[in-house]
Amino acid sequence: MFFLYELEKTIQLHPSFFGPLIRSHIHRELLAKEEGSNTGKYTIVCILDSFEVSEGQVVAGTGHAEYTVHYKAVVWRPFRGEIIDGVVSSVIRSGFFVECGSLQAFVGRSMIPSEIKYDANATPPQWTDNAEQIIEKGTQIRIKIKGLRSEVDKMFAIGTMKEDYLG
Amino acid sequence: MLVESPTGLHYPITVVELAKKPHDDIQRGAPLFSYYYETTVTEGDKYGDEKEVKKKFRASFESSKAGTLAEWFIRNGTVIQRAGAKLVEIDEPCTHETQFAGMCADCGKDMTQEDYMTDRRDVDRATVNMTHDNTSLLVSKKEALLAEEDAKRRLLGVKKLSLIVDLDQTVIHTTCERTIAEWQNDPNNPNYEAVKEVRSFQLADDRLANVAANWYYCKLRPGLKEFLDKVSTMYELHIYTMATRAYAQAIAKIIDPDRVYFGDRILSRDENGTDQVKTLHRLFPVNTDMVLVIDDRGDIWQWSDNLVKVRAYNFFLGAGDINASFLPKQVGVITDAAPTAVVESTQTVGNEAEESTGEAQVVSIAAKPPESIVAPVSNGVLTDLEKQLLTMSGGDNPDLLERQSKEQEQVIISQQTERPLLQKQLALEQAEQTAEAEEAVDNAEAPSPEQHKHKSLLHDDDDELIYIEACLRRVHRAFFDEYRKKRTAHQGGRIAELRGEKSPKKRAPDDLEIVPDVKTIMPRMKQAVLQGVSIVFSGIVPLGIDVQHSDIALWAKSFGAQVSTDLNKQTTHVVANPSRKTTKVKKASRHPQIKIVTTDWLLQCFSKWERADEQPYLIPMDPDEHGAHGGSPDLVPFDDLEEGPLLSAEDEDGAITGEEDEDELQSPVNVDISDETWQSLGDEFQDFMNESDEDEDEGTGSETDSVNSENSVETSSTKRSKKKRKRGTGSVDGSEADDSDASVSSSTGSKLQRKKKRVLERVTSLTNVVSADKSSGLPSPDTTGPDEGQENGLGGEEDDEDGDAELEAELLAELERDDDE
Repeated sequence: MFFLYELEKTIQLHPSFFGPLIRSHIHRELLAKEEGSNTGKYTIVCILDSFEVSEGQVVAGTGHAEYTVHYKAVVWRPFRGEIIDGVVSSVIRSGFFVECGSLQAFVGRSMIPSEIKYDANATPPQWTDNAEQIIEKGTQIRIKIKGLRSEVDKMFAIGTMKEDYLG
Repeated sequence: MLVESPTGLHYPITVVELAKKPHDDIQRGAPLFSYYYETTVTEGDKYGDEKEVKKKFRASFESSKAGTLAEWFIRNGTVIQRAGAKLVEIDEPCTHETQFAGMCADCGKDMTQEDYMTDRRDVDRATVNMTHDNTSLLVSKKEALLAEEDAKRRLLGVKKLSLIVDLDQTVIHTTCERTIAEWQNDPNNPNYEAVKEVRSFQLADDRLANVAANWYYCKLRPGLKEFLDKVSTMYELHIYTMATRAYAQAIAKIIDPDRVYFGDRILSRDENGTDQVKTLHRLFPVNTDMVLVIDDRGDIWQWSDNLVKVRAYNFFLGAGDINASFLPKQVGVITDAAPTAVVESTQTVGNEAEESTGEAQVVSIAAKPPESIVAPVSNGVLTDLEKQLLTMSGGDNPDLLERQSKEQEQVIISQQTERPLLQKQLALEQAEQTAEAEEAVDNAEAPSPEQHKHKSLLHDDDDELIYIEACLRRVHRAFFDEYRKKRTAHQGGRIAELRGEKSPKKRAPDDLEIVPDVKTIMPRMKQAVLQGVSIVFSGIVPLGIDVQHSDIALWAKSFGAQVSTDLNKQTTHVVANPSRKTTKVKKASRHPQIKIVTTDWLLQCFSKWERADEQPYLIPMDPDEHGAHGGSPDLVPFDDLEEGPLLSAEDEDGAITGEEDEDELQSPVNVDISDETWQSLGDEFQDFMNESDEDEDEGTGSETDSVNSENSVETSSTKRSKKKRKRGTGSVDGSEADDSDASVSSSTGSKLQRKKKRVLERVTSLTNVVSADKSSGLPSPDTTGPDEGQENGLGGEEDDEDGDAELEAELLAELERDDDE
């Protein structure tokens, strides 16, 4: 789910950027560093324009200046039970992987409706019910998140498509 | 899941009451049963006295698992003596067989959670990683087994095996040198033809930040398309490379644009887990019966029985494997470059070795006489000689990784800046010019055909893939032949069973149990190739490296050859460096049954899986060399050869016979030469010994064409006769020398008779050996095989004479030719 979130970030700026354009440098640095990053709980999707920069403070020893920036950003955080759309990135015998933006989800065999079977001899390998439903690499798919786990800068999910209106 | 009594309880414990019945639902942490245990405690009474009292304590046992209780293994009153006893069976709703990034793929529960009740971590239930492109998906052993059986059934159904393909230097060769692009754009460049087909690509997520937008140039091994096409009908192909994922995918896109051969079965360094080794168990954790590997390096596979080692493909000379810095270091093998280059090519390590090998080749081309216009053709083969040794340096610590990636960066940078290829082409052209100039002066006998067209440095003449394909086809056929055979046999058994005959087996074994094992089929096929060949390496393996564990020796052994460090009776081949006449080569040259060949012969055998004809690979021997040593009266190493192994050899008899044979072969030659000639030759040898013995390399370098095996034969005989004079007879060695003496001075009839008698006495494999000698160029069956062909002596003699006549004629012709010169 998407949220508008207020965040804070400390940015260090190299002395060579000091000058009249310092604010734009800070802005650029912020965008480069934060947009698309993942805190483990949520992904920062987009940083909004309005942001506040604190007074700069020179770090002893290096000459870098430190700025604390407050900004608003659109963040995305997946929840257990949420239904998300994704693209199949890899198909294997024990299930398939789905990329949902920054989230990598895995749909195991037991989470796939029983009429959809794995076909290893097809190229590329696919899960199919021998009718119109074919799950192969690149297929768009809708899954429900069953479990979530986050590591330092990554999120993983277990998905299911064994419910109505999924797949 | 079975719950066992945990460690950490105060055993023995006595069960008091079971709290749950079978089919009860159990929550995690719910009490399963209560028990009491006895222990002694120190109690103080009101008077301050302390005494030890035995006391009973009641406690309850809590379930560490949730599920349904299936079965109790204990009753009220049971005494549990120790940890590990069966308590209760609990059916779990989910056994977490498949886990993704620490979560169960079936129920979505976090597997990494631990608390005071955890007796076995859930993450440990699934530890096997068998997916190509993901490291976070783990499955349990049981699940892996199931998956593998599934895959096997499927492959058997479509009559395929699995084949793991390495990329770099096996099916492709990649370099980063910009020169390639320049050559590609210049149709006039001599290398244009060769590089025309080279594909280039850039990697977006190149980790080498300071080598931004690095272009890779990738040359496919000739015939790759057909190879993949044909092989993919027999094998399911996997890519397993030590390159990065991005690189592997880029290559896969080039060699398999439609993704029909490999699909997504690509495993790269990123997923391998370690940089040091490749292991089959990464992809086939349980069973590797149906898996083959093709790779140019045996060490990283620990010389697995599933491996089909191929010659390294080295198209961009000196480029080596750009991903090799992550692998264990390679140890260079001394190449058979021209003498001038020898110093350069010895004992260089790793990439340096590759660089200098390339260098050496260029020099060697330059040093060759101009009539060898075909010389560059052999180039593709030459560099293949660089071999490696398993040097397992420690695990994957971050420092090492850092260093390795630095190294790789350096290699790439150096390729970009120094442009070794360009340099080499320039050197080649220069060398050509000098060669031309020389030719003009010398006016060599052979008119050189169109010298003026610049030779190109790169050659697109590798045919390894054709051979590999043939080999793979053979293995495939052998495998399924055996499978069919076993299956029919098995079905026969089943029919018998159905008829009501009692079979010892209750249940017919699964089809999978009768699947033959590639690990036994393939070595069997390979072993037959060089069966009975005993090899001595000379000037091939760098000093300071154990010959037995050198790459080439291991490779030879996998084909059934024996490798020994010194010449002995069993020796059939000496693999040598043609530019360096080592003592071993000189020694061996006196024994006509020992063939002195270049490493190319061995490599031919390896790639074709059959014994190649030695003739084209024989190293011509200098008569000077032989003379130098033949004339010396006290050359100790020769004695070593004569006696050392003779006494130690298991089959003394056979060994001696072999020696006799040789003598007999030599005798007629000696008869033809008058005593005067003899004397003069001896003197000449003596002279040669005095002057050229110390300066061997010069003698070699001169390479006069008057190569004559006859001389060598004589010298060895001379030697022997001399030795005889020195030593007394009586011992085995003595009689040995006796024999030789007899053969040398065949005028002495009595000795000859004696010898004949002995031959008659000893039922030997004479014919066997002789026939081998006769056709010295052809694959000879087990020359030194001791007593296999129980022939009688007379027949042996006859054959012998035939052989002698032929040899005699040959040698005479040679002699005459020499005289003409």
